[in-house]
Amino acid sequence: MITLLKNAKIYDPAHGKNGVKEDIYIRDGQIIAKPSKTEKIAQTIDLNNKVVMAGAIDMHSHIGGGKVNIARMLLPEYQETLRYSDPEAHVCGPHCAHNATPSTTVTGMHYIEMGYTAAFEPAILGINARHAHLEMGDTPMIDKGGYAMLGNDDYFLRLLANKAEQKTINDYVAWTLNATQTIGIKVVNPGGINAFKFNQRRLNLDENNQHYEVSPRQILQRLSRAVHDIGIAKPLHVHCNNLGAAGNFQTTLDTMGASDGIPMHLTHIQFHSYGTEGDMKFSSAAAEISEAINKNKHITADVGQILFGQTVTASGDNMMQHLNAKHANPKKSVIMDIECDAGCGVVPFKYRDQNYVNALQWAIGLEIFLSIEDPWRVFLTTDHPNGAPFTSYPHLIRLLMDKSFRDEAFDQLNLDAQAMSNLKAIAREYSLYEIATMTRAGAAKLIGMNNQGHLGIGAAANITVYTEQDNKEAMFAKPDYVFKDGELVVKNGEVVKVVWGKTHTAKPAYDRSVEKGLKDYFDKYHTIQLDHYKISDDEIADDGRNSVVSHTK
Amino acid sequence: MLATCPACGLLCDDIDVSQPSFNSCAKSIRFFSQPSLDRSPMIAGKAVDLAAAVTEAVAILQSAKRPIFAGLSTDLSGFRAAFKTAQHAKAPMTHMNAQSTWRNAKVLQSKGWQTTTLMEVKNRADVIVLIGTDVVKHNPRFFERNVWNQEALFTDPQARKIIYLGGESVDSSYGVSANGKQPTVLPCAMDALPELTAALRAMIQGKTLKADAIAGIAVTDLQVVVEQLKQARYAVLIWIAKDFNFAHAELTIENITESIVTLNTQSRAMGLALGGSDGDTTIHHAHTWLSALAPEVHDLSQYDTIVWVNSFSPDKALPTTAAPVIAIGNSQMEFDPPPAVFIPVATPGLDCAGTLFRVDSSVVLPLKPTRTSQLPTLTEVMTKMDALLI
Repeated sequence: MITLLKNAKIYDPAHGKNGVKEDIYIRDGQIIAKPSKTEKIAQTIDLNNKVVMAGAIDMHSHIGGGKVNIARMLLPEYQETLRYSDPEAHVCGPHCAHNATPSTTVTGMHYIEMGYTAAFEPAILGINARHAHLEMGDTPMIDKGGYAMLGNDDYFLRLLANKAEQKTINDYVAWTLNATQTIGIKVVNPGGINAFKFNQRRLNLDENNQHYEVSPRQILQRLSRAVHDIGIAKPLHVHCNNLGAAGNFQTTLDTMGASDGIPMHLTHIQFHSYGTEGDMKFSSAAAEISEAINKNKHITADVGQILFGQTVTASGDNMMQHLNAKHANPKKSVIMDIECDAGCGVVPFKYRDQNYVNALQWAIGLEIFLSIEDPWRVFLTTDHPNGAPFTSYPHLIRLLMDKSFRDEAFDQLNLDAQAMSNLKAIAREYSLYEIATMTRAGAAKLIGMNNQGHLGIGAAANITVYTEQDNKEAMFAKPDYVFKDGELVVKNGEVVKVVWGKTHTAKPAYDRSVEKGLKDYFDKYHTIQLDHYKISDDEIADDGRNSVVSHTK
Repeated sequence: MLATCPACGLLCDDIDVSQPSFNSCAKSIRFFSQPSLDRSPMIAGKAVDLAAAVTEAVAILQSAKRPIFAGLSTDLSGFRAAFKTAQHAKAPMTHMNAQSTWRNAKVLQSKGWQTTTLMEVKNRADVIVLIGTDVVKHNPRFFERNVWNQEALFTDPQARKIIYLGGESVDSSYGVSANGKQPTVLPCAMDALPELTAALRAMIQGKTLKADAIAGIAVTDLQVVVEQLKQARYAVLIWIAKDFNFAHAELTIENITESIVTLNTQSRAMGLALGGSDGDTTIHHAHTWLSALAPEVHDLSQYDTIVWVNSFSPDKALPTTAAPVIAIGNSQMEFDPPPAVFIPVATPGLDCAGTLFRVDSSVVLPLKPTRTSQLPTLTEVMTKMDALLI
C-alpha cells in the first residue's frame, strides 16, 4: 500500500533541502522513490505547501528509569495542580499527568503530538537498565533508546587504577552497550559520584578520586578513546564536573581538551557555563563556551535550556545534587548511592524570572544557542525535566526564531540579570532549516541512526507536517499530521492511532573473554549473577509491542 | 540454571533448585517446594472451565458500581495486564502491603530521603544500625549475603560494627561475626521507638538531652552509637516499615531519615528500607510510572466488588467483606467460604517467567519458570477479561 504526500514544502537538511516543493511516497513504513505508473497509490494527501520535516528526535530527555520514577513518587502534588488548574482535556485518558513528572503514557502522547518520533534516555545505570527499558516499553507512540552510564562504577575505576590496557576498557564498554541494550555511553561528573561515596564533596578535572587516585581527565581520556575505538557513532556523552557551580565554565573549557581531539558531546552545557563576575559572583560565560565550541570541531553540545516554572531536577550526579538540595522547592529531595555503579539525586526546582540566578540561566542558554554557529553541533534540549518539561519545546523554538518575542521576554527578567546579559545584542533568528537540523538531521547523525531524521529514500517514514505560521510556538505545538513508520498517528495535534515504537541500540563486537574478569567481580562483590545483569532482546520485545533495532556500523 | 527467589524483597538469584541443599532459607524452600495443584477455576466453589469463570468475573465487574483491584501479589507483567483491566473497569488498585509501603511513601513525599542499596552495604558499610528490627524475620539471608561476605571492596566484613537499636524479641544472633565479635544490642518496646528515634535525631543534631535514659536505654549508650555513626566511613541505618505497627510510624521513619541527612553534612551515612514481599516494590513502581501516582491505601469495605490477585502467598487469607470477591492467583489458595469466582494462575518464578523489583528499588531481576505448568498466566486471564470488558 502506497501513501502519497503531495505538494510538501520540505525541510530536510540531511539532503540540503531548504523549503523545496516535492512529493513523498511511503510504503511499508519507509519513504520510497516515486513508484512506476502501474503501481497503485492507495491514499493521497494534498499538503498544499505545508511545512514537512522528518519526525523530531530528542537526543537527551529523562523519560524513564529509577530517578524519573522517584521524581514521580516524590511529587504527587504536581498531579493535583494539574487536575485542578489545567483545563486542557487530554487524549491519554484518566491518568493525565503533570508535564514535569508525566506517566509513561503521557510522555509518549505529548511527544508525538509535537511531532517528535523518538526520545533518548541519557542516564541509564547499567544495574537499573532493565527498569529503564520497562518504562520505555510502556511509553507509546515514539521510538526510544538510552545511554549507559560508566565512569563512576567501581569495576571501571579498578581497571583504571590497575592501569588496564585500553583494549580491556574497550571490551568492557562494548560489553556494557550489549548487556544494557543502549546506543551510547554517558559519563556523569566523571569520578565524582564515586568520590562522594568516599566523602569527597567536589571533584575538579585534574583532582584525584582519593580512593582510586584517578582523575576525571583520565576517565574522559579512557572512555572517549574506548567509545571511538569500538566504532559506535555516538560520541561519549559528557556531563561535566561541577554542574551548576559559579565559575564552572573553566572546567567545561578544560574538559573540551581532555579527549585529545576525539569527539565528545557535552550535555546540558547551559548548566556548565557559569562565571563569577559581578556583585552576585554569578555571571554568563556563554561567550567563552560558544567560542570554544565554534573552534573545537570535535565537540558537540546540547543546551539544557531552563524555562520558568515548576519542575524537578533528576540527575545521576548525586555529589552536586546533594549540594543543590538546599535550593529545593518544594523543600524535599532524594539522594541515592546505587550498587557500586553510580547514584542519583532528585531535587524539585521552581525557576523564577525575578530570581537573579534563574533569569541569568535562562539568558545563558539562549546566548549559547544563538552563538554556536553550526546547527549540526548544537541540539535543542531542556534536559527534560531538569531545565523545563519537554512540552515547552515549541515555546523555546519561538524564542530562537523570533527576536522581538525573545526581547519582550528578556524585558520581563530580573533587572540585575538583564544588566549582566548581552542577549539583546544578538540579532540572530533561527531558520526552519536550522531548527530541522538541530532537532532532526543533526540528532540522528550524532546518535548514528542512518534511517532516521531525514526524508530520503529508505528513511523510516517518521514525518511531521506543520502549517507555516508567524507564531512559531503555535506552529510547532500542533502539527497537522504526524506519521510514525508510515502510519498516520496524529491529526490536528491529536493522537488518532496508538502505536508502539522501537528501541534503538548499538551492539559493537567485543572479546568474549571480558566476561572472565566480570564473572569473578560479580561472584565476589556483586549482589546478583552476571547472567541476570544482561538484558536480552526478548525481554524488550516479548511484550508483543516493542522491538530492538541495532545500529552497529 | 540459577533461579531467582520471589519469597522476600531480597530476590536472591543464586538458587539452584536442582540441588537438595540449595543456597536458601526457609521462606525460599517453602516457595520452591510448594506442590503444583491442577485445580480448575470455580464459580461459587463449583468447578467450571476458564472461559466460564472469566465470563462470570466480567459480568460481576460490569454490574459493580465501586470495584477495586486488591492484593496484587504478582510480578510486573501480570500487574501491567491487571492495570489495563482495572482502568477499563474504572477500579482503583491497592496492594496487600500498602499499609506498610505507605509508611515509607509518606516520608518520601514529605521530606525525601537519602538511601543506598545492598551492594553498597556489602562492600562499603562499616557501621550497620538495625532500628527496631532484626531484618532476618523478613529477609533471612540479609546477613549471609550482604554483611558477612568473604570479601568486600572497601571494608573488612568481619570488622563491621553491628548495632541493634530498639525493638522487641530481636534475634541478634545473626549479628555475631564469624570470629565471634558481638553486636551492640539496645532493645526497647516497639511503641517506644518514636521516642528513641527522636532522641537519636536530636543527639545527632548536637542537642543535649535532659535525661539519663530514653525508652530504657542509657543516654550514655546512645551517645556511643551517635559517635560511631559520626566516625563511620559509611554508616547504614536500616528499618522495616512493616514492623512499625504503631500510629504515625512515618514520623519515626522520618526521625531516622533526617538523622541521616544531618550525618551526611559531615560524613557519609545512608538509609535502607528493607522487608518487601509479594511484589510490593514492583507494583509500587509500575503503578507510579503508568499513572504518575503511587497506588494508595484503600479500605476494602468501601467497595462493592473486589478483584483479589494473589500469586505468591497462598496462605494469605481472602479479604473478609460482604462484597463479592473474584480471586485470581496461586492454585493452592485456600478459602472458606469460596469466593464468587476463583481462577488459579501460574506463579511467576515457579510456573512461568516474570520480572520483579528488589526491595532497594534499583535492581530488577528476571524470574524463570522452575517447573512445567498448564495454568494460564495472570496476563492471559486479564487479557481475556479485558477483551470482554471493553
